[in-house]
Amino acid sequence: MERIHSLYLHVPFCTWVCKYCDFNAYAVLEGLIPPYVDALSHEIEVARAELPIGPLETVFIGGGTPSLLTRAQVRQVLDRVRATGLAPGAEVTLEANPSNVTPENVAGWLEAGVNRLSIGVQSLQPDALRFLERLHSGTDAIAAIRTARAGGFANVSADLLFGVPGVNVVAWLDTLESVLAEGVQHLSAYELTVESGTRLGQEVRTGLVHMPEADDQLEQYWAAAARLEAAGYDHYEISNWARPGFGCRHNLAAWNYQPYLGCGAGAHSMFGLDDRSTERRWNVKGPHAYIKHVSARGNALDGNETLSPERARGEAAMIGVRLLEGTDSARDFPEQRRHLVGAGLLLENAGQVRLTRRGVELANQVGAAFLS
Amino acid sequence: MSTPTHLTRAISVIAHVDHGKTTLSDRLLEYTGTVAPRDMVEQVLDQLELERERGITIKAQAVRMLYKADDGNTYQINLIDTPGHVDFSYEVSRALAACDGAILVVDASQGIEAQTLANVHQALDHNLTIIPVVNKIDLPQGNPELVREEIEKVIGLPAESVIFASARQGIGTKEILEAVVHRVPPPTGDSGAPLRALIFDAKFDAYRGVVTYIRVLEGTLRPGMRIQMMQTGKSFEVDEVGIFRPERTPVEDLTAGEVGYLIANIRNVRDSRVGDTVTDEARPAAAPLPGYRHVTPMVFAGLFPTDTEQYEQLKEALEKLQLNDAALVYEPESSAALGFGFRCGFLGLLHMEIVQERLEREFNLTLLGTAPTVEYRVRLRSGEEVPVDNPDHLPDAGQIEAISEPMVLATIVVPSTYVGNMMELSQERRGQFLNMQYEPGDRVVITYRMPLAEIIHDYYDQLKSRSKGYASLNYEVVGFEEADLVKLDVLVAGSPVDALSMIVDRSKAQQQGRRLAEKLKTLIPRQLFEVPIQAAIGGKIVARETVPAMRKDVTAKCYGGDVTRKRKLLEKQKEGKKRLKRVGNVEIPQEAFMAVLSLD
Repeated sequence: MERIHSLYLHVPFCTWVCKYCDFNAYAVLEGLIPPYVDALSHEIEVARAELPIGPLETVFIGGGTPSLLTRAQVRQVLDRVRATGLAPGAEVTLEANPSNVTPENVAGWLEAGVNRLSIGVQSLQPDALRFLERLHSGTDAIAAIRTARAGGFANVSADLLFGVPGVNVVAWLDTLESVLAEGVQHLSAYELTVESGTRLGQEVRTGLVHMPEADDQLEQYWAAAARLEAAGYDHYEISNWARPGFGCRHNLAAWNYQPYLGCGAGAHSMFGLDDRSTERRWNVKGPHAYIKHVSARGNALDGNETLSPERARGEAAMIGVRLLEGTDSARDFPEQRRHLVGAGLLLENAGQVRLTRRGVELANQVGAAFLS
Repeated sequence: MSTPTHLTRAISVIAHVDHGKTTLSDRLLEYTGTVAPRDMVEQVLDQLELERERGITIKAQAVRMLYKADDGNTYQINLIDTPGHVDFSYEVSRALAACDGAILVVDASQGIEAQTLANVHQALDHNLTIIPVVNKIDLPQGNPELVREEIEKVIGLPAESVIFASARQGIGTKEILEAVVHRVPPPTGDSGAPLRALIFDAKFDAYRGVVTYIRVLEGTLRPGMRIQMMQTGKSFEVDEVGIFRPERTPVEDLTAGEVGYLIANIRNVRDSRVGDTVTDEARPAAAPLPGYRHVTPMVFAGLFPTDTEQYEQLKEALEKLQLNDAALVYEPESSAALGFGFRCGFLGLLHMEIVQERLEREFNLTLLGTAPTVEYRVRLRSGEEVPVDNPDHLPDAGQIEAISEPMVLATIVVPSTYVGNMMELSQERRGQFLNMQYEPGDRVVITYRMPLAEIIHDYYDQLKSRSKGYASLNYEVVGFEEADLVKLDVLVAGSPVDALSMIVDRSKAQQQGRRLAEKLKTLIPRQLFEVPIQAAIGGKIVARETVPAMRKDVTAKCYGGDVTRKRKLLEKQKEGKKRLKRVGNVEIPQEAFMAVLSLD
């Protein structure tokens, strides 16, 4: 098996689950955090004994809201990670809610070994924040970025949402401008997506909420892309921009089809096996069940699938084409490439392909072309 | 076991669709103990899975019942169940030719309908004794008295001869059986004469070959005899003769008047044609029984495998299906748009649907059917006449002297309120009004002469919807007539799609082209690029619509944990696309090829 250099850690707790969110997240279970952190540490320890892990180049603590962990808990988890083998200069990201970014926490996270902070700003518009059910204000969010930078974080990312009902392109660019003024190194801008199992999904189904038209969503997307490019950010993935050298190494590894280990409730792992097939496996989603399984048997596996080399190559291309600076992940699909180039969705250059503007808008169609 | 000729009867049950013919047959089987109630599956006589599911009879069936009548005699009653749909009217006609009497079933709430009349005319043509039965008298909305009056006034059968029944509840069953033994005459044929047996159906059995359903009218049929089919001239040696109880039961012989089957190592139903006469090769009859007609398909359509790799499978499936369906004809066809497939001829639209459904279901194929057309006769300037059953094969306008199309005599029976709607519809469909007759029970019988092509294009559905379901229709083909017709072509993304061509009346061509383009716009899903749809007559574009390009299809987040879900979603979408046919760069769904059927 290929060695694993990336580790994802999931923290499924939130103070409030926003109505559009379909991640594996739970509110009102904060009491479970201490046993959960113990289980997470234990799962990493057991996995280390069974899998070829390390030295780890990237660690990503995502959620949910990992910033709900105390500084000591973050430290506990990262101590375990260090024991597993952390490469010098490794990227260690923590996702944080603006409300938790206090000078004390910032100092504690840095001390625990976190060196990249990803802050869930989402929007600065009061109406949008209310619609999205965010518990922080725009002022809180800007303050959080400033606190993180002032406290010593040299790599800060902000998450934003566009295409929010009631927010026009001017208001959206306003939010973007204010965030850029804070000098973040990395920015993710996601189109607000309606997922069927969420409360937003229900509101849209029943006609309570009307989502913007595709044209309006694309207008906001491309307006942001133009602004970010002008500000010196590379558009390196469909929803991600970074100052040169600040692309998220953890996510880049996954998009380049590198293996990773995922620990925590509902976390997914991906390994390349010796016969060139790919194994994906995932943990049980519920935190209670996760804690119970890890303490009983050292892991919380819930399911897995093995992809044949051909299917894995298709999947790699499906993901790889989302990298907008070019990818060779579609090298085994000359016929599909030709067709997609002909349809104006792909550009090909020296064995690398990348999406055209139209290809970005129809990226799922492009990705599907490599699946059988 | 053998019954004297004077105690033998042969009858059919005839009715408009859904008037309860098959249910009544089931009751007769039960009452005579032919089928034990515990073995009674609904609709014993409908043997095809498809028949039970759709509640219709496609193939004729036969069964022998023994009935102990009130006069103390035990009668042998041969019951032949007939298909109810107009597509299969020739089979009905042959089944009736094998009978001496007919039970006419009329629904107490629906009254006399178009096929009731057509069936009665056929029965009278064959000199059958008709026993009128008003069925479903237990239904609250029924009016049996009124229907009895209708039967007397419209059909001319005395009101006192009408029996009230409810097949569902078993009311009237005995009265019907008594009427059969007393009113229907016994057969008159001589069992010592040279053999003449009428084939009224045939069925392919994978182990025994063709099972031929016959009624012996004269002479005697025994195993070991060499028989000859008088129309085809082919000879066979008889392995087995038998009767239906209702399963096949071998007997020593079948004598004049008896109904049963013969098995003679016949490998294809085409050698055992419905309507043909079976005779003794050693002592042939002087002449065949009258009324044989070669069955000709009326409706033609292309059948193409959606997956081109299934062509061979489709070919084998058609061969197998044809063994059992003498009315199905096909020949290889290639389409620039759809690849290799078969041009198939059918008796009518229902027959077409059934064939396609059986091919898909029994042979596990995914098929694309093109819109049905009729067969045109084209007279060329050279004087030559060519048949055209595929619109795309119509010769260049410059070569054509004249085009003739098949015409039908259509009979519509409808309550008087809807007469205006029916006439309006038939006029729109190029119908020539012939006659209108008011009948008791507020019923009007209207006859039109109209092109068959108009009937197969959604006419029946329109008839039903413009009469709130009350109108009924029967039609028969009455010959060919010249018409001013042109070919309408369709171009999708600039390329002609041969499978979408149609032949239409010149005066309506432009309007049809516009409607077709509009319709296709709604049926062709958005593609990666804009898809223009054009309709053209003789190279001149008469209509244009555009399917806009797909605007957006992109997932915002695709991180490690999302990959499996996303891949599965895209794989599922892709699976759905396999039902579409790729024509050039454009993916076209099956419904688009049928769009020409409903342009109103």
